[in-house]
Amino acid sequence: MTIPIVMNSGEEGSAETPTVQNSKLESRRRRGIKGEKESPFVPVNASTTAMPSYKLNYFDARGLAEVSRSMFILSDTPFEDNRIPKDQWPALKEKTPFGTLPVLEIDGKPLPQSLAIARYLAKQFGFYGNTPFESAWVDALADQMKDFLAEMRPYFAVAMGMVEGDKEKMKNEVALPAIKKHFSLLEKVAKENGANGHFVGSSLTYVDLLVSDFIYSVDSMIPGFINEYPAVAAVRTKVVNTPKLKEWIEKRPKTAT
Amino acid sequence: MPLYKLSYFEERGLGEVSRQLFHLSGTPFWDNRIPFDHWPRIKEYTPFGQVPILCVDGEELPQSFAIARYLANQFGFAGKSAFESAWVDALADQHKDYLNEIKPFLMVANGFAEGDKEKMMNEMAKPSIRKYFTILEKQAKDNGSNGYFVGNSITWIDLVVSDHMGVIETLVPNAFDGFPLVEAVRQKITSEPKLKEWIEKRPET
Repeated sequence: MTIPIVMNSGEEGSAETPTVQNSKLESRRRRGIKGEKESPFVPVNASTTAMPSYKLNYFDARGLAEVSRSMFILSDTPFEDNRIPKDQWPALKEKTPFGTLPVLEIDGKPLPQSLAIARYLAKQFGFYGNTPFESAWVDALADQMKDFLAEMRPYFAVAMGMVEGDKEKMKNEVALPAIKKHFSLLEKVAKENGANGHFVGSSLTYVDLLVSDFIYSVDSMIPGFINEYPAVAAVRTKVVNTPKLKEWIEKRPKTAT
Repeated sequence: MPLYKLSYFEERGLGEVSRQLFHLSGTPFWDNRIPFDHWPRIKEYTPFGQVPILCVDGEELPQSFAIARYLANQFGFAGKSAFESAWVDALADQHKDYLNEIKPFLMVANGFAEGDKEKMMNEMAKPSIRKYFTILEKQAKDNGSNGYFVGNSITWIDLVVSDHMGVIETLVPNAFDGFPLVEAVRQKITSEPKLKEWIEKRPET
């Protein structure tokens, strides 16, 4: 079975475990920056403009698309949740902009790359923070999560039986160090944001959704790992208890990733 | 105007796109270059144990593309609509995926790891370059062959690709044969007066 979440891996960041110090990452960033220009992109006002048609193309999995599906659900925006069967993918691949999924079609115009899609929808629907600097922090955390995914890839491949290997060894040598490195950072960020159930600011952003869904996947392979990171766990709890999302999680197709 | 400080190593790498955004927009900033041997001592005081970091009126922001996107939005180099902006982001993420693919080759070619440079160039680097630059060439064409990847003015992905080409051409001969429109973007970018000036006077790395 293909593991969609290990496609489109990004890379950035140090290979060593950073020491988590008190580096004054306080809630100062919530106060905003004087002289900072407002974001140029105002969310589409659905009452004055015709809503675009949205079609989200992905595999039958949560993977890199779930964050975007969640935003449609949370904003009550209709969208076509197009889940492509694996055997149809080879024929479709070359019709996509980059040979990858997900691809979002907005009034028929394609947009590839999961985080570009998520960010676009987050701006449209108000899940992108309240100042440009907050938005930048949401992006920084999302990129950090992409690095995490890239580092976890060899473990996922073995854990899901796609590649031969010693699952326990991979867990100890690959997964646990990656989790410790990245989730220590997330814990610090969540705490310094006031342990309010969000990573940035005081309302839901797309990175809250992204992390929550990754936790769901990793927890199925390494149960209870999140207990060491209570502030992060609190973000996930808040996300999954948001009424519309709670309903979606109960009724959505059940997939391993 | 906020006070800007960009901290990165003494090289172009992941910091250069942001430096170029400051120069293009004529925005003063502290170009803080950290010598490699200072890094182990400073690392633990950074938010993520990484550079680049942008400091805006004392507020820190990590992650090179989050920084570049923030500055591009502030200075007007992020596309002229939400959709254009998203396409700039999509190309930037594709660039990152490509960098991830050729990273083992770059490590060997730059002397940070052991390996057969020639073999890796032929088996890893060249196919990845071909695959990614085919996407870029098509994008430049679909965008109207106007010297930009998105829209009709400079965006930060134009800067990212142009700078990267400077890195690759020292390592892989004839890497960009067959990609004239991508070359045209680089030509246009590097002849932009403020950038041209910066490129001429910046430290050689």
